[in-house]
Amino acid sequence: MTRRTIKFAAVGAALALGLTACGGGGDEGNDGATGDGGTLDPEEEITLTVTWWGNDDRADRYNQAIELFNEEYPNITINPNFSAWPDYWTARATEAAGSALPDVMQMDLAYISQFGSRGQLLDLDPYIGGELDVSGMPESLLASGQLESGTVGIPQSTNTLALFYNPATVEQLGIDAPTADLTWDDYDAFIAEAAAAGAGLDPVLYGSGDYTGVFWMFIQHLVQEGNEVFTADGEIAFTEDDVRDWLNRTTDLRADGSLFPTDRTVQLAPLGGFTVNEVASEFSWDNFLAGYLADSGAESIEMLPMPLGSSGERGMFQKPSMLLSAGSNTEHPEAAAAFIDFITNDPAVGAIFGTSRGVPATESARSELSAEGTDAQVIAYEESVAGDITESVPTLPEGFGSIEATWLRLAEELGYGQITVDEFVERWFAEAESALA
Amino acid sequence: MTPETITPAKVAAPRPSHQKRRARAAETRAGYGFLTPWLIGFFLLTVGPMAASLYLSFTDYDLFGAPEFIGLENYRNLFDDPRFRQSVVVTVTYVVIGTPIKLAASLAVAMLLNAKRKGLGFYRSAFYAPSLIAASVSVAIVWKAMFIDDGIVDQVLSLFGIHLGGWVGNPDMTMPMFVLLAVWAFGAPMVIFLAGLKQVPQELYEAAEVDGAGKVRKFLSITLPMLSPVIFFNLLMETIGAFQIFGSAFIISGGTGGPAGSTLFYTLYLYIRGFTDFKMGYASAMAWLLVVVVGIITVIFFRTSRSWVHYAGESK
Repeated sequence: MTRRTIKFAAVGAALALGLTACGGGGDEGNDGATGDGGTLDPEEEITLTVTWWGNDDRADRYNQAIELFNEEYPNITINPNFSAWPDYWTARATEAAGSALPDVMQMDLAYISQFGSRGQLLDLDPYIGGELDVSGMPESLLASGQLESGTVGIPQSTNTLALFYNPATVEQLGIDAPTADLTWDDYDAFIAEAAAAGAGLDPVLYGSGDYTGVFWMFIQHLVQEGNEVFTADGEIAFTEDDVRDWLNRTTDLRADGSLFPTDRTVQLAPLGGFTVNEVASEFSWDNFLAGYLADSGAESIEMLPMPLGSSGERGMFQKPSMLLSAGSNTEHPEAAAAFIDFITNDPAVGAIFGTSRGVPATESARSELSAEGTDAQVIAYEESVAGDITESVPTLPEGFGSIEATWLRLAEELGYGQITVDEFVERWFAEAESALA
Repeated sequence: MTPETITPAKVAAPRPSHQKRRARAAETRAGYGFLTPWLIGFFLLTVGPMAASLYLSFTDYDLFGAPEFIGLENYRNLFDDPRFRQSVVVTVTYVVIGTPIKLAASLAVAMLLNAKRKGLGFYRSAFYAPSLIAASVSVAIVWKAMFIDDGIVDQVLSLFGIHLGGWVGNPDMTMPMFVLLAVWAFGAPMVIFLAGLKQVPQELYEAAEVDGAGKVRKFLSITLPMLSPVIFFNLLMETIGAFQIFGSAFIISGGTGGPAGSTLFYTLYLYIRGFTDFKMGYASAMAWLLVVVVGIITVIFFRTSRSWVHYAGESK
């Protein structure tokens, strides 16, 4: 071995560090009046790429829906594709850089302005009233897919937050189940009581994880108290004290080990304490019911509304759980619009998806939902809280996905006891300011 | 890898005849012809993207719009970023602890396999096998399964009265877990050590034995100096390799660098900045900073190597 050979190998290894990046920019979106987008030629052979995030169950449902679509549009071939949530956004961002987004893709509220405001998403306004019928959807819901540049996403369904609890686990603990009229303090007391009762069991049972670590719960709390969450120009409207007070709700529970341990949560991912039946209750979106039942194997899971705020109101809101968008680079915008229309409105498609994506957004998609089972329970829940849904979902700024992830990460460090609440506040604001800039 | 490598200059030493020269020109053309596919790939897929990322490192680029030139701001922001500092600490810890342990382990196994005994071929293959698959996704998944609560490691340690729980969920135990994974994949340096050991002249050991040297003495005075070029080579390659750890960390932490940032390796943070936070300019700056730092470390290694690496046939 000589000095020369070593040098050569070292240079090679250093180069193999793999410096690669992608270049390219996006096309500008085009404006147009409603309904003048042209119509679909039924003779033309068209291929559309369609992609979504989700599990195998969702893929099955999409494939069934696509089969129905092909019965009506035999000239359109659909190339379906799906991945898990984090990989999904990595792939879409890379495609956006090369202006190669899929013809139709599932879109989330947290990312829509990031993609839409740079002209990456097709303005669907020209097709509304033509290939795309949105008449069965409330205006307020449709607005969530609209940016200044036009309509870039069609909401598919809505969901709202719920407090889930597993009656079997509560029974094991030998304590009273939470009730619909509880306040936040009542709920914290329930957690403490559950942890005390569950400490001697094998496995150890808990009442809840640290719900303050869920950014959407904080948003729900702010909305409930009548506070603004984000300003119209996408800035943070709440204060450091708001965050501190919120996190301090569970400081005592955190300190005496009454919350489901963070290290256990980390190791159970992608499942959670609630889905392995070691936690009695959990806050989440109401369309999680089907997944909870499937993952936990529980016989039944009950749903309660949000705890009462200081004013005695619940101040809940509905959030569009997902949207469908078309890439602005699509060669077949009218076919993409027709596909979005079909998935949004067709009663049979509505029945296929049930409430797995949330409660369907249009009346026609809801018309054939089954009257019993999971779907019926979710719909009954939404009906029961209809009077509590008095607020609208805050407009999410660009970079929301990033600040939400930061919140979750810092909550994990808080759970490990590596940082204090004050450090959480300081670091979250520092990172959020750079992410929203 | 012998000192007497044949270089083109030596072959061409005698002046060639006219005919020979023409044949050589044809050969050269053919050579470049065969190189072309690789050259195209090298420029399009390696040099091009590298140049692009160097440019992007001076821009604010979110993948959606056009990159906007901002000069050195990305580089300045790096030093105010607590997560960047954390990723440097995690990575340097891993390199400084993991690399020497891995080298020591591979040298030890190489010396065991250098002895003359039956079935050596089998043992060499068996010990090399892990390094073939250690970088794979499946091994990272298996590793995670072994080190969770009630995983096989937890169970075995519990038999000896050591109750650590799952390493995967414990920020203090994730680093040892990654070091173990690296050490377990000692195959590549081991094979090179083995080749180096074969080249140490037996006469030296015999002469030393005549002089009454023991095992430790022979190791320190003969094996180590004679192996020093190989040790140097392995140290360099493993250090550079350790800086690049990504796949196993990505899988075991689910792409987050968790728990609590304890597996936030440099390249993983680079990936998160680029593809999760959509700060591609920042990620490019991180990539180039890593190249420069690894380059500097390599130069330092070469400078200091003059004092401890002994090449055969080189007079000092």
